[in-house]
Amino acid sequence: MAAGWLWRRLCQQSVFPGNYASTILQKQCSLLNCALMGTRLAGSHVDTQEPKTNPLVSVSDEPETLYKRLSLLVKGHDKAVLDSYEYFAVLAAKELGISIEKVHKPPKTIERLTLLKSVHIYKKHRVQYEMRTHYMCLELKYLTSSTARVYLEYVQRNLPEGVAMEVKKTKIEKIPEHIKEPVWDTLPQVEETEIKS
Amino acid sequence: MALCRAAERAGRACAALLPRSCGSSGAYSTAPALSSRAGQQREASLRRRGRTSQVVRPHLAPRTEKMAVDQDWSSVYPTAAVFKPASVPLPIRMGYPVKRGVPPPKEGNLELMKIPNFLHLTPPAIKKHCAALRDFCTEWPSALDSDEKCEQHFPIEIETVDYVSAGTSIRNPKARVVTLRVKLSNLNLDEHARKKLVKLVGERYCADTDVLTITTDRCPLRRQNYDYSIHLLTVLYHESWKTEMWESEKSEEDMEEYVWENSCSQRNALATLLRIKASENLSAVTEEELLASEVVKNYRNSVIALKNEGETESNVSQYKESVKKLLNIQAVP
Repeated sequence: MAAGWLWRRLCQQSVFPGNYASTILQKQCSLLNCALMGTRLAGSHVDTQEPKTNPLVSVSDEPETLYKRLSLLVKGHDKAVLDSYEYFAVLAAKELGISIEKVHKPPKTIERLTLLKSVHIYKKHRVQYEMRTHYMCLELKYLTSSTARVYLEYVQRNLPEGVAMEVKKTKIEKIPEHIKEPVWDTLPQVEETEIKS
Repeated sequence: MALCRAAERAGRACAALLPRSCGSSGAYSTAPALSSRAGQQREASLRRRGRTSQVVRPHLAPRTEKMAVDQDWSSVYPTAAVFKPASVPLPIRMGYPVKRGVPPPKEGNLELMKIPNFLHLTPPAIKKHCAALRDFCTEWPSALDSDEKCEQHFPIEIETVDYVSAGTSIRNPKARVVTLRVKLSNLNLDEHARKKLVKLVGERYCADTDVLTITTDRCPLRRQNYDYSIHLLTVLYHESWKTEMWESEKSEEDMEEYVWENSCSQRNALATLLRIKASENLSAVTEEELLASEVVKNYRNSVIALKNEGETESNVSQYKESVKKLLNIQAVP
């Protein structure tokens, strides 16, 4: 059943071009204004017979790739920043209808180095530095490529300064046509050449 | 003489400059030209003070005092911005407290400015953004609601990693690695092809989960690595279906699991049984009849279980029972 379906991918027309911040702001503002206008006009006598189709959304006939799992690992030096970011990412996933499998915090790693305190001699006096890296892992399940692109772009644009992210995507695919049957059955009978030792 | 008189006049003029209204205005108007240096300095300072008292305006009230409680916060902080103490109506204190005191207030607080704030991502703002973005999302097919169904329809899993970090370059060399995972039970393989494939891939096959994992990173781009991994899978599949001439030389050491037919255990058991029958001088039985008999079959199963699954309590006791039946030994009292 699922094999026969052709998934259509939603393209975003010039929503995230070069000048990102201003255009995403404009798009949000224009949509916010539309939403506000809609609520104001709903009180007055405007017919809402057809649902408003978003003019920025275009649908293509390319089949969607499916992601079984999307694993976001966020690394930072400040735990409070990561906690806020976790709240934001989880709320965004819930609002967009993405199922969250697990949110967990791997233990922090501390990298320490010991250096000489003085420029010249004084070996017995050193100074020690450490770098603490806190982690937060967010695992999402069952996303289509459009949803994954939208979510990842939103979440990555709002990544705070000093925080890094690794995204592990697990894509699921069918077996390609050429591995269904061994090709030797279909080839015409060929004289076997002598095996040279 | 004239200088002394000028000084006297300057002194009277200076005295006249003080709060009392001066009578000798003429002397006052010409005083700057004739007054002494101290007088000049005092005059200049008074002029300065006078100017500042005219120019000082009262400070504007910060924006926080004009904010309503139910205002739209996303219009105050629409995008990520520095913390502005006059725009945030919260009494925040941050920093190391002064001695026997409290942390410093928010005005001019560097700690508050340094740390990334999430004032532009309050829950109502996130909900607004997501409402706008929901049009671009598509639904997951409802038929694939469990992992087993995903695997049944889409057996191959491709794993790729993307890296996002701040730096001079957005490229990360680890991003080109592609991992392909597939269960061999989903591929169209017969027994010989399966064993040959397992031998070909070696370490990349996990027998417990029946998963073949191919990791490629020899090409510089991710697309190339993906194509290479699919190419490897194709080649392995087709090669495993081929039977080479030298495969007939497969010996007992190459076997993956113990096979009882044509093994020394079978030969020994049959030889022993034949000798027993011969010594008892019963009717000569052939090997096929012996092989088909129950006791030999029991013995065969127990030996196979012992060799393939290892030694467990049940396996060893089963072997004991089968040997006793085979050799007709009564239980030791």
